[in-house]
Amino acid sequence: MNNGCLEKRKKEGSKSSKFGSKSDDFAVAIAKVAAAQVCESVGFQGFHLSALETLSDITVRYIFSIGKSANFCANFAGRVEANLFDIIHGLEELGSGLGFAGASDVDRCVVNSGIVRDIIHFVGDADFIPFAYDVPRFPVVKELKEIGSFQEKGEDPPGEHIPSWLPTFPVPETYATRSSVENEMMSVPTGKKTESELASIERKMERSLLNLQLRFAKNGNEDGSLHGVGYSGRAREDFEGNPYLAAPLHSGEKEVEVSPVVFPAKLSNEASLRNPVPGNVIVGNHVSVLETFASAIDALKSGLCDSDNGTKKLLSTQRPTLRFKIGIGKKSFGTEPDFNSQKDDNEKDDKKRRVETIL
Amino acid sequence: MNHNPQSSDGKHDDDSALSDFLASLMDYTPTIPDELVEHYLSKSGFQSPDVRLIKLVAVATQKFVAEVASDALMHCKARQAAVVKDKRDKQQKDKRLILTMDDLSKSLREYGVNVKHQEYFADSPSTGIDPASREE
Repeated sequence: MNNGCLEKRKKEGSKSSKFGSKSDDFAVAIAKVAAAQVCESVGFQGFHLSALETLSDITVRYIFSIGKSANFCANFAGRVEANLFDIIHGLEELGSGLGFAGASDVDRCVVNSGIVRDIIHFVGDADFIPFAYDVPRFPVVKELKEIGSFQEKGEDPPGEHIPSWLPTFPVPETYATRSSVENEMMSVPTGKKTESELASIERKMERSLLNLQLRFAKNGNEDGSLHGVGYSGRAREDFEGNPYLAAPLHSGEKEVEVSPVVFPAKLSNEASLRNPVPGNVIVGNHVSVLETFASAIDALKSGLCDSDNGTKKLLSTQRPTLRFKIGIGKKSFGTEPDFNSQKDDNEKDDKKRRVETIL
Repeated sequence: MNHNPQSSDGKHDDDSALSDFLASLMDYTPTIPDELVEHYLSKSGFQSPDVRLIKLVAVATQKFVAEVASDALMHCKARQAAVVKDKRDKQQKDKRLILTMDDLSKSLREYGVNVKHQEYFADSPSTGIDPASREE
């Protein structure tokens, strides 16, 4: 019980969430300026910051409490919208502590309230001091960009079970990560692609190629890690940090990267047959890389401990001469550029040409 | 029966006075901006399409703040007058009227708002104690 009280006191001691939260900073700042202007009109020449903050906080709470009591009066009378009389009731409630003319009258009319008369006098006497800044309407309400339905967009829903009046699915780039985006693109190639999309596709391909190279550098030192060359394996590896973003396992695959060498080649061949265009580039790389590593794989199979150094040596000698071949399978690219790690500019040109041919 | 027409006339006068006042409010721009008032009124659940009501709340709030500030000013001037009584040299220095927490809390107390400002903040419970007793 005691601890609960302490915690509650601590919470109340800190700024109230209604008026002190981050989202209210703008309104509180405006209130500070307004309070400072009112103080200046009264005759003050300066203020302590803590005093101004307190006064602005009280100003805000005063407005809030007027609104609250006026809303209560309106709801009590069975109305949703408050009117003048509700506000006067609220003002009377707040002014009842200090008192106003006619507060003790039993038969007083709301219209004839002393509070209103005081306000009328105040408006008559007070100087006209407008607010120092132009205040825009806030909080700004963002317009909701509506996603059109399948019918409106003229697209066919990707499944028979999806009715056409439902909104379309979001663009894969907005939610999917690199490899899964490539999957999507390979499985459902859309006709039109914007410049930005092209650029993003290129970047993704470059990144995945780089990852692949790094992975082979890493995996070459480990036994049986060449399984990662497989299509899904690569996707898995890409998301080492976040296992939830990894591509799902196909049947027969294991999380553990120990597998026969034949499997990846078969898988990558299947993948190359299945998938057109950009994905093919990378799949083709897998196959050709496997060929280059065939000797290393044999060495790994035969020896265990000592072969590690051997594979390292093999790798170190082989890496500079890695050449990725593309163009395995059905697609017609026109050209089959070679991916040499040294020629980066040519790679980019080739990629652009390939992308253009796709379009 | 007799006072009925009178009261109805009186009511009519009050009504007209109020409606005239609301009309004149449209010309008067209160120091507290309408957007701020509207923001906090909507936060409290107050709903009204009438702009004049927003201006009425703004004017009422301005009146409240002006009253609090004028009370604080009175306290400040009273304090300065007391000081000047003792030392006439400082009369020129203390001309500036500054709103302090002290004066503000005194004026707010009359309106039922209890504001207590911390005198000072200390790093630890033993700050400011004699070094001899602190070692214990």
